[in-house]
Amino acid sequence: MDLLALLIVAVIALLMAWLLQRPSLRRPPLAPYPQRAPFLGGGTVDSHAWSRFHVRYYPMTLLLIAFEMEMMFMYPWAVVYVEEGIKALAEMGMFLAILSVGIVYGWRERVFRWQ
Amino acid sequence: MSWLQRMAGEAPVPVYVARGIDASHDDLAALALDANIELVATPRHAAVLLVVGTVPAKFHDGLRRLHDQMPRPATTLWYRSRPLPEFDAPHTLSKTDRLAPTLTDLYRTLYGRTPQPVLLPDRPPAPWRGLGDYGQGGEGMMGGTPYGRPMAMTDDDLRDGLQLDALGFTLGPFFGPWAPGLLMHMSLQGDVVQRVSVQSPPFPQAPPTVFGAALRGAVPIADLELARARSHLFGLAHSLETAGLRSLALRTLAHAARLRPGVDIGLMRGWLRRCGLFASVPPGCGQLTRTQAIRIGGTAARAAGQPMDARLEDPAYRRLGFSVIVQDAGDCRARWRQWLGEIEQSLALADRAAGENVYTDQTEVVETPRGRWRRGAGIADASAVLEELLPGMEWSEAMATIASLDVAAGEPGEGGEP
Repeated sequence: MDLLALLIVAVIALLMAWLLQRPSLRRPPLAPYPQRAPFLGGGTVDSHAWSRFHVRYYPMTLLLIAFEMEMMFMYPWAVVYVEEGIKALAEMGMFLAILSVGIVYGWRERVFRWQ
Repeated sequence: MSWLQRMAGEAPVPVYVARGIDASHDDLAALALDANIELVATPRHAAVLLVVGTVPAKFHDGLRRLHDQMPRPATTLWYRSRPLPEFDAPHTLSKTDRLAPTLTDLYRTLYGRTPQPVLLPDRPPAPWRGLGDYGQGGEGMMGGTPYGRPMAMTDDDLRDGLQLDALGFTLGPFFGPWAPGLLMHMSLQGDVVQRVSVQSPPFPQAPPTVFGAALRGAVPIADLELARARSHLFGLAHSLETAGLRSLALRTLAHAARLRPGVDIGLMRGWLRRCGLFASVPPGCGQLTRTQAIRIGGTAARAAGQPMDARLEDPAYRRLGFSVIVQDAGDCRARWRQWLGEIEQSLALADRAAGENVYTDQTEVVETPRGRWRRGAGIADASAVLEELLPGMEWSEAMATIASLDVAAGEPGEGGEP
């Protein structure tokens, strides 16, 4: 008996789902082709819309890595800093000096200039 | 018609304007200022296509494309224009004062009418001809003609030589931000313009009628200078609109509509400086060389440091104490500053000339807002300068540069030349 009730519920649910999502609702008739053409003030396109162009964020990612690596190693360093003392400070100084070369490089590559 | 449709009809009418030959600035400015009309940027937002002025036969296909891009229901009004042959019962109009009411009427009764036909055939403009899984033409990821159009191919890059796909298209002749009739083929790498070629120059524009009258006989300098100030205000409004500052553009047009001699536009100068128009382009954007500046003439030449002005040849102007304003930078910002400076100067001159009732004293040559106009010569088209100027610019800079330059040829309109 329970199984029958469950079956009825399932059938009703499927029926309602079909009513809500029936193909004619999901795909309204498309506008005519001329209406779907891109607007170019009366002009036309030459080529297909599959066109690849460079997003040019490579220097930006380099900069992100430079800063992010710095932060990642500074957290554990801050935990042991009090125990290790001046030695930890010197090590972190060296590490930052190396990383800052990357930042200086990014600077030269005009990462900080918004374009 | 249901009450819902009636209520929707009370909204401002979204109108796309396709400008043909002799589309008057004054009519369009009045339309832009009308609270019942909203001039939209593309036909996709429009319910009414307004065709102003004659459209030459070679642009009829472009007009058909625009017409078909409007979502239905839509309608078309032909204002001082000959309808395309496909229309059985076109709505035509020639009276200026009826323009806004007619547009509103057409919009209110949009649902009662028989729907407008789609003019172009309803079939894919470039049908599938691909071979590979993704229709790439069966030649790997490059080349081929998957949908009847070729795939974009790599092309030279102006910035760092990184060759990637260039996007080529023709834009115009009814592209709102450009002068009517200007049709250019452009090639873009990302948002950087690589190549530009002018396929068809802008339609010749008739300077305001008072300038034609100045070549026939003496006219009051006050009228001439007011017309010049108004024309420059239209130019500034257009640049503001292109920069996305529509409310300020409308404010500028409102200024132009109630221009009187001696009005102080100091307030306008203030908000123009603060609104961000000048900051929207980098310094040096659209900088003209000396030859380009001389070729375009008019305010563009004066903004590039060339003191070319036909008013210097008029003794009446000399008596009024006229001196040429020039800027040295020659870029977009300088041209906007030049317009602003000349508007102030023209209003001051008009005030003085109206007080003393001064008439022009030279009918051989007149300085129109577009440039020097010698009797019987007209003003030459300078759109070829854009081909040299635009490559290398980002899209927004290119748009600002085109808006800041008036390159259309000048020809006598109604009334004509002597």
